[in-house]
Amino acid sequence: MTSIGTGYDLSNSVFSPDGRNFQVEYAVKAVENGGTCIGIRTKHGVVLACEKIISSKLLKPGCNKRISTIDRNAGIVTSGLLPDGRHLTTRGRDEASSWRQTYKAPIPMSALASRLGGYVQAYTLYSSVRPFGVTAILGGWDSEAELGVDGQVGNGPAAGAGGKVDDSSTKRGGPGLYMIEPSGLYWGYYGAATGKGRQAAKGELEKLDLAAPNCSLTLKDAVLEAARIIYVAHEDSKDKEFELEMTWISALDGPTKGRHEPVPKELLEEAEKHAKKSLEPEDEDEDEDEDDMEE
Amino acid sequence: MFRNNYDNDSVTFSPQGRIFQVEYAQEAVKQGSVVVGLVSKTHVVLTALKRNAEELSSYQKKVVGVDDHLGVALAGLASDARVLSNFMKQQSLASKLSYGRPIPIERIVNMIGDRAQTSTQHYGKRPYGVGLLVAGVDDLGPHLFEFSPSGMTQEMLACAIGARSQMARTYLERHLDKFADCSRDELIKHGLLALKESLAQDKELTVDNTSLAVIGLAEKDGRKKLEKFKLFDGQDVGPLLEANVETSGGGEGDAMETDS
Repeated sequence: MTSIGTGYDLSNSVFSPDGRNFQVEYAVKAVENGGTCIGIRTKHGVVLACEKIISSKLLKPGCNKRISTIDRNAGIVTSGLLPDGRHLTTRGRDEASSWRQTYKAPIPMSALASRLGGYVQAYTLYSSVRPFGVTAILGGWDSEAELGVDGQVGNGPAAGAGGKVDDSSTKRGGPGLYMIEPSGLYWGYYGAATGKGRQAAKGELEKLDLAAPNCSLTLKDAVLEAARIIYVAHEDSKDKEFELEMTWISALDGPTKGRHEPVPKELLEEAEKHAKKSLEPEDEDEDEDEDDMEE
Repeated sequence: MFRNNYDNDSVTFSPQGRIFQVEYAQEAVKQGSVVVGLVSKTHVVLTALKRNAEELSSYQKKVVGVDDHLGVALAGLASDARVLSNFMKQQSLASKLSYGRPIPIERIVNMIGDRAQTSTQHYGKRPYGVGLLVAGVDDLGPHLFEFSPSGMTQEMLACAIGARSQMARTYLERHLDKFADCSRDELIKHGLLALKESLAQDKELTVDNTSLAVIGLAEKDGRKKLEKFKLFDGQDVGPLLEANVETSGGGEGDAMETDS
């Protein structure tokens, strides 16, 4: 690597002559070794999934969850340095709760991504801190109804300054999926992937054609696909066993009623079975590929 | 001149994305003497091997009670562990005052985890040089957590950290399936035997160098009742050693006697 030995990569918040902040780039390297995490956004909701590598037999199975709830309507999964991920999750919860304090309403996903993106970015500005060694995927549902919140006083003015625009053509709410990088950069996604198996996962996500306006993927399909993608992206040879962890969130009239929840056990098991089965015929595909090569 | 420029502080990533200062702090854990922890459905046991600096000095404290339902065993810098265990005592007490019930184990473990994470991200701080096994009982039953200097905390079924702990871990892995249904006494036995695996060749468990702590749920009149944190130290471990571990020197156990 050209950066090594130049001295520009030894401190955070220092630009190299060609305008790079190497410490941030190295933080990205920490993420690239983390377990694969993905998010899928459909019209009906969002699914978050992660591959939890079992580093020791002594770990308690089914514990040490990696996907957290930030607020009733929002979840987060991080890849990279796990303690940094917890730090970011705590910050996310603080932001969500302060938003509720101020606005008497749950935080919209776009605002949450913006707040957390800003927080992560601040850790690239000073030499007294290091950047976050995590990439976070945020998934949530902004309620289409106007939800009352504990402590709400009145409904606000009906018209005039601060009054509500009751325009039926304005569409409120819907699913949200964002990914925040160690630089603080974030984008909205239809399908997001990070961690060790991100390349394979991205390839699979693209096949789903999630961005198409007529994409017919249901939320349950998305759960099955998410499980399958985690299995596809897992490198059997390199890594030991892993646990699949999945959460989802739907509209108010969907299966989770606008809440971020773990995927129910039965569905999780079905998805895992489906994922394992879909991996089997892949051997044939590979054979075909080899044939192609020979031709 | 410098072999490695990236290991001077904990706010510098190496080009591979590693933080060497944190990794070095984790080495300090391996310098400490071994501690073992394991859980059943009803109990959680901590066992520890104590070291003395010299023949005439006292032995280093390895197991600390935090609250009635909560205790820790440490490997590494004991003074760092005291900072953390004092913090846990404060938090446990404050939580009991605020909420009128004992603090859930996972919560207090996350608190020390978050605290340790902060010292890996800010210049001028150093990571804690200690690993902890946190044992406790709450509404969800007995728990065992491992805490490491990186701020990572994980719930375990059984765990061993410290010098030569690999042998104890091998023992624990071999008997892992049995632990869940163990009685209190069987769990103590496994704890002591796992600890014994990690001993150096000419050493054995004695009343001087062994600490053991138990927390659990005792069945009383058909109701589950907390069996409070109890530390067995000094002469108190004698009967436990006698019952569970073969010693050459008889019940009193003498560190000087090494013939078998």
